[in-house]
This record gives sequence, structure tokens and C-alpha cells, in this order.
Amino acid sequence: MIIDVGHAGMLRHVAVNTGAGFVPGTNAIVMGAAIAGNRLGWEMTGIRDGFEGLLHPERYPDGGLITLDPGLIENLDPSTGGILGQAPWTDPLYEQVANADKNRKEEDLPLELLKRLNEKGIDGLISIVGGQGLGILHKIHLKGFHTVCIPRSIENDIASTAVSFGFNSALSITIDMLSKAYQAARSASKIAVVEVPGEHAGWIALQAGIAVRADVVLITEIPCDLKNVASRLKDKISPRRPYGLVVVAEGAKFDDSPKGQFVDPVKPIVPPIGAGKVAVSVATALQKMIDTEIYPLSIGPWARGGNPTATDHQLGIAYGAWAVKTLRASKNGVMVSFVPPDIKYVPLEDVINKVRTVSADSEFLKIAGALGIYFGNFSSKM
Amino acid sequence: MTDKPKNILDITGTVLNIQRYCSHDGPGTRTTVFVKGCSLRCKWCGNPESIRMKPEVSYDPNKCDGKKCSICLKAPFPEGGFYFVEGDDSKVKVNWTLAAGINQEIVSLCPTGALEMFGKTMTVGEVMDEVEKDTSIYRNTGGGMTISGGEVMLQPDFAAALLQEAHNRGINTAIETASNAPWSFLEKVLPHVDTMLHDIKLMNSERHKKWTGVSNERILANLKKAYETFPDTDFIARTPLIPGVNADDEHMLGVLEFIKPHKNVIDYELLPYHRFGLGKYDSLGVIYELDDYKTPSDEVVKRFQTMIDKAFGRELTTE
Amino acid sequence: MSTDTGQKRVAIMVGAGYIPGINAVVAGASLAAGKLGWELLGILDGFEGLLHPEKYPNGGLIPIDPQKFNIDPNTGSVLGQSSRIDPFNVRTINELGMVEEVDMSDELLTRLKAENIDAVISIVGGRGLSILYQLHKKGLNAVCVPRSIENDIASTSVAFGFNTALTFTIEMLDRARLAAKAAQKIAVVEVLGEEAGWIALQAGIAVAADAVLIPEIPVDLQHVVTHLKNKMSGKKSWGLVVVAQGAKIINPGKTEEKVSTLKASLSPLATSDSNSEFVIHKSGQVAQAVAEGLQLRIAEETFPMVIGPWVRGGTPSAVDRQLGVAYGAGAIQALEAGRNGVMVAFVPPDVKFVPLAEAINKVRTIPTGSMFFQVADSLGIYVGNKEA
Repeated sequence: MIIDVGHAGMLRHVAVNTGAGFVPGTNAIVMGAAIAGNRLGWEMTGIRDGFEGLLHPERYPDGGLITLDPGLIENLDPSTGGILGQAPWTDPLYEQVANADKNRKEEDLPLELLKRLNEKGIDGLISIVGGQGLGILHKIHLKGFHTVCIPRSIENDIASTAVSFGFNSALSITIDMLSKAYQAARSASKIAVVEVPGEHAGWIALQAGIAVRADVVLITEIPCDLKNVASRLKDKISPRRPYGLVVVAEGAKFDDSPKGQFVDPVKPIVPPIGAGKVAVSVATALQKMIDTEIYPLSIGPWARGGNPTATDHQLGIAYGAWAVKTLRASKNGVMVSFVPPDIKYVPLEDVINKVRTVSADSEFLKIAGALGIYFGNFSSKM
Repeated sequence: MTDKPKNILDITGTVLNIQRYCSHDGPGTRTTVFVKGCSLRCKWCGNPESIRMKPEVSYDPNKCDGKKCSICLKAPFPEGGFYFVEGDDSKVKVNWTLAAGINQEIVSLCPTGALEMFGKTMTVGEVMDEVEKDTSIYRNTGGGMTISGGEVMLQPDFAAALLQEAHNRGINTAIETASNAPWSFLEKVLPHVDTMLHDIKLMNSERHKKWTGVSNERILANLKKAYETFPDTDFIARTPLIPGVNADDEHMLGVLEFIKPHKNVIDYELLPYHRFGLGKYDSLGVIYELDDYKTPSDEVVKRFQTMIDKAFGRELTTE
Repeated sequence: MSTDTGQKRVAIMVGAGYIPGINAVVAGASLAAGKLGWELLGILDGFEGLLHPEKYPNGGLIPIDPQKFNIDPNTGSVLGQSSRIDPFNVRTINELGMVEEVDMSDELLTRLKAENIDAVISIVGGRGLSILYQLHKKGLNAVCVPRSIENDIASTSVAFGFNTALTFTIEMLDRARLAAKAAQKIAVVEVLGEEAGWIALQAGIAVAADAVLIPEIPVDLQHVVTHLKNKMSGKKSWGLVVVAQGAKIINPGKTEEKVSTLKASLSPLATSDSNSEFVIHKSGQVAQAVAEGLQLRIAEETFPMVIGPWVRGGTPSAVDRQLGVAYGAGAIQALEAGRNGVMVAFVPPDVKFVPLAEAINKVRTIPTGSMFFQVADSLGIYVGNKEA
């Protein structure tokens, strides 16, 4: 349900902000929104670091708000990082404050937030968020504020949109890195177990795994038994091809480890830096069943830096402009969504608390199957 | 007659080092004689210096006098074997590839002792002189002499003579071995051994070959025959625990089952792997393949130890 | 057996470890050899193709015909790859079922003779260079193409492989910088460079890192902390520290597990100056140690990252492709000029031939007066060497 809070098309001053976590190239979105907004004669303002620039202006000597005027936009580089910074991993609607008794209590802040927005004359908000940020935005919307969400998620796990901003960039770097891992595994005659982003959804693992013809792709959606993985790897590895590549999503799940093959909680003397826990566990567990040497790697930290791809650059500008169009059309409390070939918008309440995952009948799974990539069996019980 | 020395005191072997006051190589306080040369190439090897049979040059930079000495830059030292890096005159550097051909005679020309041969030829008599220094300690602690390695079975005549001489002098004897040798070698050595500590690294033969370079059929056959042939000898099985290689229930159960029928196997010890000998392994030469192995967690070691205690019928000690 | 004129049979082989773009060198050698009417053959997997031909059903020695040449200089290696190439220490299992290393160098030379091979072009660096020199002393006509991703081979300005590694490292450091900025943390990124800090320093300059720690200059972490605190006193609350794998850290804040005195004095394990400095030789360890050491003294969160494992894959940079082809052709030119026992060296603007004896036992490190230090200094990058 979309709450009607007056005619949003009459807005005068719209703010743009971004949520927590790094996504490359949000400048493109800011640019798209600012150009479209300025053309309507709206005042466009960027809030730095989530809501920090608004709530704690004292922390910003140059001001916590950035006026997105045409002069600034003209000089903004859409192919690099974010002028808006990045929100802290905290809910801006709650803040821990110490009260008179020195006891910590959580204070509800939306009133303070709305007060600040009103003080600045801001009457609309475009938020570039995903995950937890969607819920926060929805709450602000329920308080009666004009809001539009631009979906951003490197995992592409936001429901109701085919592509979230940031996914294409993360996928590209992952494919790049996996190619390198593949060549390295090949030159060392070892099996690389590479952890890729994907806490809630296996899109990156699956799509990138297909691109580099991985031997195995393990994703959140399909819990699998590492024994089956080991036997598949053994089948594929031969003296002619004494190497392999296993792609593991960060959130991959495994069937209860059979007795005697539990995942040893290894306490490495030198923690494999950057290699996430999943890669290490999988590598250790597989090593017990396979003689080819196995080593863990992780792409995670590298995929969270860098510049956007051309596709994201283009998508960002489009999302930004479309968010303004959406507000202009008096829609609010919505998320803009890309459902090829159209850009649409959907109510936030249809988006929150949902995760876009790889489904059993996904074309990508069929493709992976056709390529001989093992990804477990969807029908296997959770 | 043969050209073998008549007196067993004159039999020679390649010894790496003699270490006194050891407490982990058999009962009591012991003197451990490390011999050089090994018949396996375990990928996790922590003592790469003991692997090759032939003596190798060793270098202690702390003793080097630097450029003002420079003796090792000239003949008879091998060309290119030793060098200085520009800007650093204080210590000579060693090109291990080009220095490989060096021998004791040349090495002894090093005036500071920075260069030494690693591994030297010693007679049984010379070794015993060292071992005998602590006879009273052995008596007080129930200790004795242990031959470790490397691999003791690579020098069966020397080992047999040394052990026999120790017995002659009333010293308790032990050996540490991986048992990868012809049975005839074990047969020669074992009559003079009170305690044999032997490794069982992996029960699966294929995997044994992968990780150590040889399959394990002969090792297991040797052990079984040894248990049966020498009922009065104490045997202690050992496993260097390496996660991802053998730190799992399957291996533990396999070993326990293997040793169970033999009453003279008195214990099974776990040696949690420590990245101990890790250094600049690139310069160690082609035969060493250390990689990122990990130590098993305390939790896992404890669990395995409980399995062992149970198998040996030992009471669990509670605080 | 070889003559300075007439047709020759030349073999080309590559040393241990992956390096992108080996095919570019092969392509250069093949085209130059073809022009002279010489035959070029590739030995597979180091010397394995010759020493153990039984392992290769299609032959361990492959003809490389420039007429049919369709090797893509941009990818892979037609010469295969090997993890060990030392013919003086070939691991075998002897008749007693025991493992031992045997010297097969004589057999290698015999096999080369039997194949009528006049000379061998070897794409090697580091230890491989010494092995090649040793073989040359035993009578092998050898020409070396220097390869080193760290660029630490003496007598050449640029070894093959360096430019690719540098390019990739800069790309990755850019990512690390953005990640550090986004997360408001201090990234400690370990890059390649066991003996020489070229990659660390050049890449560190390219991305304007806050500090660069290299093997040439032992640094006290306390000084790094002071520098970082100064830089971060304003509104900048993140940082980027680049650490070469062989960086020497004084005062790391945590002591390394003591190596027993027995082992400390052993030859291959001995580290230089191990009594005063914290010497680390394993990928990832130095990033970890520095990150932990800094964390003890600084409020901002530090996190370690390692580039090492990722550099072993990939495709060669444009510069390396061009350099590789030139090096391959240069090796043939050296043989044509009757030179042997030499390394092809690139000393801009010339390609020169340097006797192998002059190339071994030298490490090309960054000299004290290097222009790169001055550049780093003027950019406010801490590289050590400053008074407390």
C-alpha cells in the first residue's frame, strides 16, 4: 500500500543519500538524480555518510550536506567512488545514548531525523540502499516522508528488481579474479577454493562460476554434502588436468558433515588473510578426501573496492533519473526497479524482508548443469 | 676376512647432532643422536636439514666476519658459491646451488667457523663418549640414548653397532623411525632396541605416497613383523597430526585398530604439527616443499587423546 | 659440436613457477630462429620433457615451427610449467624403496647431445639462473632470458614479468585504497618483493600510499605509526600501507616463534641478521604482522590484505608482451653472434649480452639515492630511513 502524504510532484527540495557498505560508483546515481532534479527546478542536496551529515553536522567542517548544483555535477566523475561517502553500520533511527544515570539506552531518533530534514527544507529523499537500509527507509516513509529507494546490492539479492546497482561491477571483478585463480591453480597443479560475495544469494558465485567454467559452485540456496563435491572433483581431476576450481559463496551451506569428516575448526598459525571462513573450512574438509593440494582464497575484500563497470555506470544514471521521475509522478514509498526492458517502481513493503535467490528452475542452473559444473542437488533436503 | 672394521667402536656413520637432556624421545631424560638422511619426503617436514644423506654446508651469519675476511670468495671455495651484496659488506651470502659441491676440507678453511659441515662422520666410539657423559642422569631418571633422524634405518650397521655398544655399557636404548626400509635392516637394528618409537603417518597407502613420497605397505608390514618378532621390545606409535592430511577420526581409528592386537605396543602418541622448521624454504633447494600447513586445534587434539586413552584402558584423570 | 655458422637446433625451456606471457618469448625466439633457417624446439615442463620423455606420449620435445606459428602471445605457455627444474637434484625412489635425490645433469647433457641440440634458451630467474650457470660450466651452450616479477635480477633494467606484476599490483592497490576509504580503516597490503622493493615502491607511488615498507630499509613500526597519525589527524580517517613480502620490520610488537638454536645455525634455514630483525618469508605473514603491530598502537582499525596469490595468474601487460618478444629474438641474436653463457639484458635503449657469471649472486635492489625515494618523499609517503 502506498501512503498518500500529499502531492509529491510539488516537491521543491530533494536529498540523496546512501546506505552502509561499499558499492562502487554511486556518483553515477547522484549525477542522474541531480541532473533530472535540477531540470525540474528542484533543489538537490547530498547527505554525507548516510544520515551522519544531517544528524551530526559538527563532524563535518565542510558541512554535512552537499549542494548538488549543475556546476558540481558537471565536474563529478561518474566512473569513480562516492561523493556521498558511506553510512556507518548502525541504524540511524536508534542511537545509544548515555542518560543521566550513566545507563545506556536506545533512543528513537526518527523525530530528530524528520525535524532536521524539515529544518533544511528537505521534502523528499532518494536513498541508495539495500538490505537493512530498505527497512530503515520504509520506516521513514511510514512517518510520512516522501521516499524513493534505488536498489543497490553487489549480491543482487534485492527482490522485485532484475538488477541491483553494484552487481554488475562485483560480478565483473569476481570473474576477473576467478580467471586468475584458475590460471594460478593450473600452474601450481592444485585446487583453488575461492570464496566470493554472496551471503544471501548465489548469483555471483553461479554466474561467475559459469563464466570461468569452475568445477564446482557452492551457493547459499543449495546446501550440499562435501563428500559429493569431493567425488565429483576426483572424477574431474586427472594427470592431464591435475587442478581444479571450486567457487564458494560466502553464505554457502553444507549438509550435516558426516562422522569423521567434520569440518575441523582449524586454528591456523597464520590465518589465511582475506580468505574467509567458508573457503578455509571447505578447503580443509575437502583436503581430507582429496590428495591434490587444496588452498583457500577469498575475493571478498577485493570486490568491495574499485570502480563501476560501464553497465553499472549506465544503470546508475538511469536509476537516479528514474527516481526523480518517480517522485515527480507523485509515487513515494517505492523502490525503482529494473525489469528488462523497463524501469518500474514497486512499493517498498513488497521488497523488504524478501531475498532474491537462485530458484530451482533457474536458467543459470541449467547452464551450469550443461557445462558439467557441480552445484549440488536442489532436491536434496535442507 | 671382510674389510669391515673388527671393533664395533670404529664403525662410522653420518651424525647430524647429539643433543643432551631430551625428554620427549623415550623414557626418562635421554641423549638423542640425530643421524642424517631420510627415506621419506614428507611435505610438512620440519627438519629439512636432516633429509639428505650427504653432509651439507651450514652457515651461521652471526659468526661471519664479512668482507675483510673474504676467504670463501677465492679458490678452493667453489666459484660463485659465496658472495657479497653490494652495500652490505658485513656478512657473506651463500648461493646454495653453487656452494653444493663443497666438502669438509674446504669448509675448515673458514677461520670464524661461520661455515661448517652439517652432518659429520663419527665413529661409534666418538658418539658413545658423548652419550656416556650423562650416565648418572639416565640411571636417576630411567633414561638412556635415543637415535633419531633423519632415518636411523638408512645406516643400519652404524645404528646396530651404536645400540649394541650402549647396551654393553648398560645404557637403555630407543630409536625413532619411520620404518621405510627393507626388513633386513630392521632385523639388524631391533635386537638392540629397548623402545621403538615409530611413525604411522597415514593408513591409506595412496595418500601416504602422495604426502610422503612412498606408499605404506612395506612400512605397515615391517611394523607388524617387528611387533611379532620382538615381543620384549616396547613400541610406541606416533602420528604427526596435520589438519587436512591425517587429523581425522578415520586415521585415529585405523591406527588404534592396527596396534590393538599387539600387547607390546604400549602407547600411541600424537605430535601436533607445528610450523617449526619453516624458514626461507625457497633457498632450501628443490627437495623441500613446505607449504601452508596448519596446526590442529587444541580441541581436536584433546578429543583424539581421549580416544587413545580409552583404547589403552586408561582412567581419565580429573582435576 | 656447435659451429658459429650454419643451421642450428636450439631448444627453449622455462624455469619453475607461472609467469604470464611466456608465449611472447617463445614467439620472438621462433620468428628470429625461423628467419635464420634455424630449428627451434620447446622442452616441456622445465627439463622434464628431456629427462623423463616417457611421461610425454606426444614427446617431451616439441618442434616450434614459425610457418605454422599460431601461438597466442597473450596467453599461457606452450612450454608447460614445472615446479622443479634442478637437474642436479632429481627426486627418485631407489632400489631399496627409499627416496633420494640424484644428480642427472650428465644425463641431461647426453640427452641434449643425442637430440643434436646446439644451445638452450632458458627463461629463468633466481635459483634457475644459478642452475643454468652450473650447467653452462659443464659445457651447455646456454642463453638466459631474465624473468622476475620482482625485477631483482642484476644487469638488466627490466626483467620479463615485472611490468605485468606492477600493473596488476597498482590495479589491486587502487581497489584496496577504495575499500579502505569506504570502510574507514587502514589497509595493510602485502605485495611481492622478497629481496627488492621495486613493486612496492613504484606501485605505492602510483596510488599515493601513506607508507611503503621495503626489504631495503628496515623500519620501526613506531615511526610508521607516527607518520600515519600525522596524516590522519585531519579529516582523513583511513590509510593505505604497502608492505613488500620481504620487508624488514624492527619492533613488530610481537615476537616470532623462536627457532631453536640448532636450526638457527643451519645453512639453508639461516636468515640474514635474524638476531636483530623480524624476518618473515611467507606470503601473508608480513601483512599480518604489520597490521597487528600497527593495531597495537593506533585507534583506527587495521586490516591485512595480500596480493601475492593473485599475481600468479593473468595475462601479460602490453609492455611485457613487447619485451618478451624482444627478449626471445635477442636470445637468438646472442647465439647468432656466437655468444653463449650469457643473459640477454635490456639496458635502455639497448639489448645487451651479459655473462651469466655477472648476473648471478647479485640482487638488483633500490639504490639509496634512487629517484623513486625522492618522489615518494615529496608525495608524503613514508619509506623509512628517517630519524625518529
